Amino acid sequence: MTTFLGTGPTAGHGRPRGGAPAAIEAYGVGKKYRRGWALKDCSFRLPAGRICGLVGPNGAGKTTLMGMAADLLAPTTGSVRVFGTAPGSPEAQRRTAFLAQEKPLYRRFTVAETLRLGRELNPGWDQRAAENIVRAGNVPFEARIGTLSGGQRTRVAFAVAFGKRPDLLILDEPMSDLDPLVRHELMGALMAEAAAHGTTVLMSTHMLAELENVCDHLVVIADGGLRLAGGVDELRSAHVRLTGTFQATGPAGADAALARHTVVDSRADGYRITALVRPAGPVDGVWQAETPTLEELLLAYLRSPQVPPLITNESQVGDRNLAKAVAA
Amino acid sequence: MTTMTSARTSSAATGRGPRLTGLNWLVWRQHRAAFWTLVGGTVLAAGWMVHQRTGMMDTLHALGWPHPKSGGWETSVGSTLTLTGYGLGFLPILIGVFVGAPLMAGDLENGTAKLVTSQSVSRIRWIATKLGVTVLVVLVGTVVLSQLFGWWWSPVKDTSVIGWSERAVFDNTGPVPTALTLFTLVGGVAIGMVLRRTLLSMVVTFGFAVAVQLVWSYFRLQLGNPLSLTTRSDVLTSSAPAVPGNGTLLDESFTTASGKLYGWGTCVGESTEKAQQACLHQKGIVGWHVEYLPFSQMSSMQWFGASVLLALTVAVIAFIFVWGRKPVI
Repeated sequence: MTTFLGTGPTAGHGRPRGGAPAAIEAYGVGKKYRRGWALKDCSFRLPAGRICGLVGPNGAGKTTLMGMAADLLAPTTGSVRVFGTAPGSPEAQRRTAFLAQEKPLYRRFTVAETLRLGRELNPGWDQRAAENIVRAGNVPFEARIGTLSGGQRTRVAFAVAFGKRPDLLILDEPMSDLDPLVRHELMGALMAEAAAHGTTVLMSTHMLAELENVCDHLVVIADGGLRLAGGVDELRSAHVRLTGTFQATGPAGADAALARHTVVDSRADGYRITALVRPAGPVDGVWQAETPTLEELLLAYLRSPQVPPLITNESQVGDRNLAKAVAA
Repeated sequence: MTTMTSARTSSAATGRGPRLTGLNWLVWRQHRAAFWTLVGGTVLAAGWMVHQRTGMMDTLHALGWPHPKSGGWETSVGSTLTLTGYGLGFLPILIGVFVGAPLMAGDLENGTAKLVTSQSVSRIRWIATKLGVTVLVVLVGTVVLSQLFGWWWSPVKDTSVIGWSERAVFDNTGPVPTALTLFTLVGGVAIGMVLRRTLLSMVVTFGFAVAVQLVWSYFRLQLGNPLSLTTRSDVLTSSAPAVPGNGTLLDESFTTASGKLYGWGTCVGESTEKAQQACLHQKGIVGWHVEYLPFSQMSSMQWFGASVLLALTVAVIAFIFVWGRKPVI
């Protein structure tokens, strides 16, 4: 019996490449530190207007990648473009806001002075937006940063990033030291902001809930290499989670049935086999097929470094541009 | 007075003086404790020197200025000048360690460099503003102190109260204090940028600043062109000729008719005067030779030394900008 899966062979055929302008393009980007390569040969494209989750194990190169887009680091190989320009260009600097993981602020400044810093250094500063975020947390404007709690400090750092009114907001583990309530509120503010202004957001996170509720785009890196890049729905629907019993197929039968497809991850117990598959067409055999959850997809790709990465069409950079960038 | 302004909200900035904006505001706000300390220290030292000079001039006038009788005042005036000069001599080290080293290292260590450079300002402009404001404050302060010290010292510069080539005077008048301080300051900034740790940079800058002082002390008297005096006299019965004016004696020695020099200890080992004479005669020693730096060279020596230091300062600043151009996390 043949189960026809409703999806096309691979994802992304519906969208023309380069349909939306790119917020970030990475061309063969690599970064080498003294202890070795943190990131290697990374090429992808983040269309503007997405809220993109950047996921990967600790030390996978997430901060490095974000640092390069924010012009805090120079790539060892390849190049990064932000809205088509170099990250250090005045235009990119004006349009990009970056919130570092440790939320650096001047400890002896008051909250008001910290917002003034944003106002003095950014031509498009939105004082009201920034003040609203601070007010929502009842953080006193006269308080010195050094006297605030970790969560309050994060809120002020958020306010500085939001007040800049960026077109690209890069957040490195923004929510790690917030309680669930504040996290929910700030995420709400982030989504409203992004929706109202078409802001592109790139945020690294370890929280699956954040990913599922907030992000519509996903970039997964592991061991310094790209594993997945693309829209969340597209990535999910490009895969199928199959459950079958050995009674129906036998172990060899199952392997044979899956041989022409890309098996990302499979596990078998005595009588049952579960596999996350990137199908290359109809799958033979008797299977129970489901679209995987984001979590299943993530875990499967992080567990299986040997499986080739999946970069959806809209997430790919043009080969010609890539060749040009690598040559340059 | 610093806490007063900080409590104000930004929109109601009613600070004293002209209202700063942009990076100038940020740099002043971040380092205002250091800058106010520099300003306050300058004012205090200036007040001290004005007070001392006034007292000194009162004494001198009572003793018949401009040709005061000698009698006791030289020692006290000399020691006050020396002590003050000695204290001012620590300024390059202090400013290098406490202002220069933390200037960039603090931001790099705390991550606030990331905060500032991810606003809409370029790294180079930020570094230039930090360096520019700091250099300006230090420049104004050292010029004021140098002028005041020179003004205090000038009434007694032709007397034997304190030698012009002594460290207390030479290093605290004219362009020298400014050049020494600026060089140590930018050296500290560069060290801080490379090491990126405040405390470590301060320690290393201290070593650097002390080394600068030692090297400078070594070369101080070599900045001039020594003049020489030669006499034809019996070196055993006459002493070396006095250095003219207020010159600084560099070296006394015996000379032969052909100009060959012997140390003034030559032949002192002989047991009798006769033997000594014979020894001197045998070596052909005919008189004294004295090398000295005239007072008239002081200014040119100071400017020569200062221009070398300022050239080094410019080189270090160039290094800071080259280093600061590349992205830093």
